[in-house]
Amino acid sequence: MNEITLMQYIFLIQGAQVGTGILSLPRTLAEVSGTDGWISLVVAWFLNFLAGYVILLTIRRYQDFTLPDLFNYLFGKWFGKLLLLPLIVYYACYGWMVLINAMLYIKAWFLPKTSEYMIVLLFAIPSYLIVRHGIRVQARYSELVFYMMMWMPLIFLVTLKYGHWIHLLPLFKEGFEPILNALPKTVFAYAGNEILFFIYPFLNKKQYAVHGLFIANTMTMLIYVYITIVCFVFFTPDEITLLNQPALSLLKTIEFRFLERVDMLFLALYLIVVTKTWSAYIYCTVFSTSQMLKKQDHSKHTLVYFIAAIACTYVLNPTWNQSERWTTMLSNASMIVLYVLPVLLLIYTFIFEKYRRWKAA
Amino acid sequence: MRKLLIGIAALALLTTGCKDRMDIESMSLSLLIGIDLDNENKLIFSASSPVFSKEAKIKEENYSTPAVTLRASRDNFDKTFMALIAGGKTQAILIGKSVMQHKGWFKLLEPFLRVPENSLNTRIVIVDGPAYEVLQYQPEDKPRLPLYIAEIIDTSLKRNLCVKTTLQDLRRATYERGITASVTQLHKDDRVIVTGTALLDEEGEFKLSIGSEENRLLRILQHETEGEFPFTFQALNQPKGEVFPENAYSFTAENISVKTKTGHTRNKFKFDIGVKMRVVLSERLFPFDVRKNARKLEHDIEQQLENRFKKFIAKIQKAEIDPIGLGLYARAYKYRNWKPVQDHWGEALSKADVNVKVKVTIAAMGAIK
Repeated sequence: MNEITLMQYIFLIQGAQVGTGILSLPRTLAEVSGTDGWISLVVAWFLNFLAGYVILLTIRRYQDFTLPDLFNYLFGKWFGKLLLLPLIVYYACYGWMVLINAMLYIKAWFLPKTSEYMIVLLFAIPSYLIVRHGIRVQARYSELVFYMMMWMPLIFLVTLKYGHWIHLLPLFKEGFEPILNALPKTVFAYAGNEILFFIYPFLNKKQYAVHGLFIANTMTMLIYVYITIVCFVFFTPDEITLLNQPALSLLKTIEFRFLERVDMLFLALYLIVVTKTWSAYIYCTVFSTSQMLKKQDHSKHTLVYFIAAIACTYVLNPTWNQSERWTTMLSNASMIVLYVLPVLLLIYTFIFEKYRRWKAA
Repeated sequence: MRKLLIGIAALALLTTGCKDRMDIESMSLSLLIGIDLDNENKLIFSASSPVFSKEAKIKEENYSTPAVTLRASRDNFDKTFMALIAGGKTQAILIGKSVMQHKGWFKLLEPFLRVPENSLNTRIVIVDGPAYEVLQYQPEDKPRLPLYIAEIIDTSLKRNLCVKTTLQDLRRATYERGITASVTQLHKDDRVIVTGTALLDEEGEFKLSIGSEENRLLRILQHETEGEFPFTFQALNQPKGEVFPENAYSFTAENISVKTKTGHTRNKFKFDIGVKMRVVLSERLFPFDVRKNARKLEHDIEQQLENRFKKFIAKIQKAEIDPIGLGLYARAYKYRNWKPVQDHWGEALSKADVNVKVKVTIAAMGAIK
């Protein structure tokens, strides 16, 4: 009933990954590793896929268990809930952070006079309509948006005419070290595999889960590398570190006779892509909380989440600096959830199963 | 019912934007902006904006005012202009030469980079003299001045009489250590004339002016080979003629391909630039058999072009500037050698060997022998 197809599974993962990070990614990479930054993206892709694979290895044993069920099974009723709590906070914060980042972009680039909470409210209405339904509606939405927005990267090709490929040379200019140092910068952009815990149980063809993960992560990587290289080729290596959102500044230089602010139009449409990201995280949050409180329907929790998100925005009125600080903090949390938790879980389940079998015997 | 209510609520929220809508009549678009320095080194800002009113006889309003910065000058414009200044449509920023003779003037354009509504495609122009004089110019045989200025730069670019420098290009050249900026140069006496290109140093200080012929050489060296490249030379081994330049000939270069090779030997950089072009003759005032002796004419063109390239390069080396962007090649291909000199690249380039080799093929001689 609530199954999702392989394609939908791919687009859900990819949708959870590609969000607001992409707009500033070329700068944050260039700050650390210059125009070699795109190589970091390829390395990070490999690590991410590996980590995602580890997640799949763990949950493969418990095919019908979502994260709350899994924790319940592995750690017992109370301890499982206790362990689940920080993860729920993580998913909730991540969803809110994406909302806030998107809101700040919209406010800075084309709604300077609209108040923060109002923009979040506008985001919340359509998202609520999607998230309150099951995973299937969201999966369909992700798929539709992906097909609808496939043309978007093509706009960037217009700028290639003015690009200088020479900016990319020499490769490995300072060796391999800066490339590795830039890896933490990619975490916020690449985070998204953690929704596997929630969508894997619904996948109809589980034998292709790894393939789907690979395709999704590769698509994300290709989009990131593409945008980053286009920015590196257009802006000189010294210049790019001065721009807060190179991808938007790049679009600003495109002007058609009939359309001057391509950046504005792009950002407005790109919001639809970003909705996929926050919806995915918010879904994970409210799904967990409703499971925890033994509720079948999570639409009330969704409503509460969005009201809380708007209220938080209204009270905190986040600034750019705050948002960047929180994003960094959240990236650190992501590192644990994405890379440490899967390994620990895998080891734990291994021992747990051994112990169970030994006990049964 | 519930869905309908939600839908109506969502639509109602969108109407909040209507309260601060802008009518074009109540907007003053500063299409041209001028920046000058007066005798006491105080900044003078000027703006010219179109008037959308049937009753106004002159369709342009302009005003010059001293102010601390560009953004601060906006207040003074708003005090006298019919409507409030709105950014985003500026066609050109005209900067007096007196401003460009100081280092770091580029900082003045900060608001254009910082505020997202402003366009990055604004043309940057240096004016040989005060910029406000150009802004006050109201030619009767031309359309609105901002359009005219924008158009004259764009058409001059098609023939490569000057470079077209947008704000983005200027930012690129200014913040990049491997290139120095070059901007369109205008002159105004009783009319406005595009005189060529002004070359600036790494700090933005004005160094040299080059005319249209040297500008074409610069464009070729920059690998920017779009548009037309017409040249008129006087043949080296032909009689000069008494009244008329009987040794003159003209051609247009096509399919120009440029290759820049970078080397580093004995503590200095070495650039070998190979230029290949096909030329079409458009004029020849002396008798010459192109069918048989094409090679001779090709050789003449090659030699003359090479001499001109050499002179031009000597000029920029003396000024210690790099409008060509050879620094980018140095970084890309000789990173180890580039790193120690990257902060004083102009000086390093002035010591470098830059050789230009030209290879010409006559592609066509036209309709007559």
